[in-house]
Amino acid sequence: MDKLFAQQLTRATRADGEIDLAVLEELVVAAYAQAERDRRLIDRSTALMAEELEQLNRGLERVVEERTAALRDREARLAGQNMLIDTAINNMPQGLVMFDADARVVICNKRYLEMSGLRQDQVQPGQPLIELLRYRTAIGTFSGDPEQYIRQLLAAVARGETRTVEFELAGDRTIAVTNRPRPDGGWVATHEDISERRRAEKKIAHMAHHDALTDLPNRLLLRERLADTIAGIGKRKRAAVFCIDLDNFKTVNDTLGHQFGDGLLKYVADRLRACVGPGVTVARVGGDEFSLILPDLVHDADCADLAQRVCEAVRTPIELAGHPILIDSSIGIALAPDHGVEPDELLKNADLALYRAKADGRGSYRFFEPSMDARLKARRALESELRQALIEGQFVLHYQPILNVENNAITCCEALVRWQHPERGLIPPADFIPVAEEIGLIVALGEWVLRKACADAASWPSQIKVAVNLSPIQMGSANLVPTVIGALAAAGLPACRLELEITESVMIQNTEATLAALHQLRHLGVKISMDDFGTGYSALSYLRLFAFDKLKIDRCFINDLSNDASRAIVRAVTDMARSLGMITTAEGVETAEQFDHVRLLCCDEVQGYYISRPQPLAMVHGVIAAYAPLRAKSA
Amino acid sequence: MRSEQISWNEGSGWISRSGDVGLANLVFYFGTRQALASGARYRELRSKYPGARLLGCSTGGQIRNDDVTDDDIAGLALRFDRTGLRLATATVAGPLGSRACGETIGRTLAQTNDDELSAIFVLSDGLSVNGSELVAGITAVVGNGVALTGGMAGDGALFQETLVGGDGPPRTHQVAAVGFYGNAVRIAHGSAGGWDEFGPRRRITRAQGNVLYELDGKPALDLYKRYLGDEADGLPGTALLFPLRICDPEYPDNEVVRTVLAVDHDARSMTFAGDMPEGWVAQLMRGNLDRIAIGAADAARQAAADIGGRDGVAILVSCIGRRLLMGQRVTEEVEAAGAELGRGMPRLGFYSYGEIAPHRAMGECQLHNQTMTVTVISETDL
Repeated sequence: MDKLFAQQLTRATRADGEIDLAVLEELVVAAYAQAERDRRLIDRSTALMAEELEQLNRGLERVVEERTAALRDREARLAGQNMLIDTAINNMPQGLVMFDADARVVICNKRYLEMSGLRQDQVQPGQPLIELLRYRTAIGTFSGDPEQYIRQLLAAVARGETRTVEFELAGDRTIAVTNRPRPDGGWVATHEDISERRRAEKKIAHMAHHDALTDLPNRLLLRERLADTIAGIGKRKRAAVFCIDLDNFKTVNDTLGHQFGDGLLKYVADRLRACVGPGVTVARVGGDEFSLILPDLVHDADCADLAQRVCEAVRTPIELAGHPILIDSSIGIALAPDHGVEPDELLKNADLALYRAKADGRGSYRFFEPSMDARLKARRALESELRQALIEGQFVLHYQPILNVENNAITCCEALVRWQHPERGLIPPADFIPVAEEIGLIVALGEWVLRKACADAASWPSQIKVAVNLSPIQMGSANLVPTVIGALAAAGLPACRLELEITESVMIQNTEATLAALHQLRHLGVKISMDDFGTGYSALSYLRLFAFDKLKIDRCFINDLSNDASRAIVRAVTDMARSLGMITTAEGVETAEQFDHVRLLCCDEVQGYYISRPQPLAMVHGVIAAYAPLRAKSA
Repeated sequence: MRSEQISWNEGSGWISRSGDVGLANLVFYFGTRQALASGARYRELRSKYPGARLLGCSTGGQIRNDDVTDDDIAGLALRFDRTGLRLATATVAGPLGSRACGETIGRTLAQTNDDELSAIFVLSDGLSVNGSELVAGITAVVGNGVALTGGMAGDGALFQETLVGGDGPPRTHQVAAVGFYGNAVRIAHGSAGGWDEFGPRRRITRAQGNVLYELDGKPALDLYKRYLGDEADGLPGTALLFPLRICDPEYPDNEVVRTVLAVDHDARSMTFAGDMPEGWVAQLMRGNLDRIAIGAADAARQAAADIGGRDGVAILVSCIGRRLLMGQRVTEEVEAAGAELGRGMPRLGFYSYGEIAPHRAMGECQLHNQTMTVTVISETDL
């Protein structure tokens, strides 16, 4: 204040050097007033500032409290989450272990301990992976070289690659380990026990290559083995392929049931397994077809020996479910490299040889010969031509009249199919019907015959019936009855003018379905005849099952009518038929003598060259007309 | 360069107090609004210095060497030998025209075939102009390379009308500036406050240009009234006792101090001498007499360090708020500045409503408040 007062004095000093006290007082009072004002202002601002800061402080404390509470809350939530994660990890079906960038354990779950066989104290955080693998190698839960495993794993992690490795362990166990890199340079290893999956895969693979019924290799595996065998043959070493087919297996299956058939197949499989050497592959390649691969063949005689042994082994009588069974097998054999160096070629050739063996009489074996192939080719050509023939309408029907002995009138004409081959001329049914049956063409051909015969018969005098042969395969078709109805309707032919001829073999197969179809046809009004009667085995038993309208006595009896025994048989048949309400037809009557015989033996009808050869449709009317006057004459 | 200090008072009219300038080419003069309003003083100077540029304004008190006076008009006549001078004036209707006005001044001074423009000294109406925008307008045209200093005219503690004259009678709504050309002239400057921040930091939550409505969501005027207590009756003048330090929170070093020019009791708003950007941080300041004087010395020291020529003169522009705070002791800051500049250097100045000088830290020219800014003008020899 010294300086200020000096200044105030200067200001209050007048020009004459006198001090103006009033001015000085004014200045001093003003200075005091200002100082007082400053003091008040400072006091006030200090107090307000303190108050404001206090308020702020309280605000901050509140914020701190709130944030602390929020932090505690978050901590609690984190703890809860950790518990959830812990629960989740420990309830995983996979073993989980996490490693840091130094290949040391971070965390693992209980399942990992179970799978690795390690104790908790061996998998503490910080434990090096190499230690774990050494423990596991010692107790057999790790297979492989631990150092090499870690080297490859670290390289994959460095590349950021997820790597899965499978370990085959003792006890048929398979463990898949998936190592997934983490952003921090470590990785997560999940261990999955895939033993079940691998077992299932193996089983599926086995099923894909084996027959479920016999557990023998199937066709697929046979081909693979055959390819391997062929690859191994040399100058001195050869191999043989057998195709084995059970004779009449279908009959057994059909008559005794599939279950029985399956039992038989298993039995045969066991026998085949038992009679071949250790290096021989036995396979089941189809229903009743088996195959053998005989590697390391030195002498053809060994092959023949084995074929003989197989035939005998199969033929040995057995009893299945109380039924005594005797079954034969036919065998076709192809040799490698003599008969081919491709699996398919060898199998085809063995099959050709089998076909030949069956054709030559069952229960035998045949080696493949090149001529079999030529025959097969001819057969294939025939099949193809047959199919074409049906499409192009090369089939024609001829009719053989049947004479009623009593009134000497034609009562019926049997439709007989012929193949008008464009190059080979007219071909008889015996040359193509079996093939048509084998390739399934018989159903379509049979339908054509049925329709054509019905249509033709519609133009005949109304008392003349038409007879149509049904093959066993047609009888087995579910479409038979609708086909017959369709043919009758299309032709406008009354059902009573149609006779269907079936053979004894039809009655042996599909008994129940066949009977049902026969009853339905009978119900429609269609007549049912038994053709070639007397040539089958259980000839009389099925006469009880179905009341046929007509029995056609086979030509073999008629040929031999000069013989007393034959005459007696025919007599017995006609008597029996009459007593059962059936009429009889003698087939194959070619001479006047035979005609006289059958008339005397009380056959109702006669069919054969003596009456008429099978005639083209155009000639049928003439034959009918030729017999009509006779009837008039006798009348 | 030669200089002559002159003064005017009722009793003796214009007298020369020291030096002899001969034919002056630039005269600065500062006086109270009442003394300048008639235009008579301007006419007297015009006839006394017919070839000179005359630049003056009303004030909150005049500084002449170590004295602060309210009665006299203080003047300084300068004779430059090797420096080109040009005067620019512009009229401004209100704060919104501030930038355009600055651009006009800048263009007038920059458009010349003479030597290169090296410095500008500007005087602006103290109440109708947003000083920040004015400065921005000038520097937008002339660039930051041209030293820009000056101040905003004052009206004592009344805040009613301020006058500026540039080669004409002083008037309201006027801005006048002189440009210095060539490489002989040397302009040194310094700026400092010496105020202390106190209390919590606040956020400018509502403002428009230089009008502040809210701090931390509360009316700013309420805060001032609360702090001023009885002194609130003296608003807006007493608000100068608590200036606001404001800064962009992203650049906290780029701080400026703002003082109040006017208050609106109905809107509870306060008008400041420069922009109050929303989102900036604001903190109350208060003065301590000793540190205010130290601040003045600091400003003078900055300018003294850069004096490049001989026979320099100093123009001191200090804030009215400093004078209101210091009362009779205001001479202490003038003396402190003088001590740094040297007693022999003629010093002229005034108490203003805003100071203009480059920012000490950032270098770009800004409007300041509550500071002492010192501009030392000199000219080099051949």
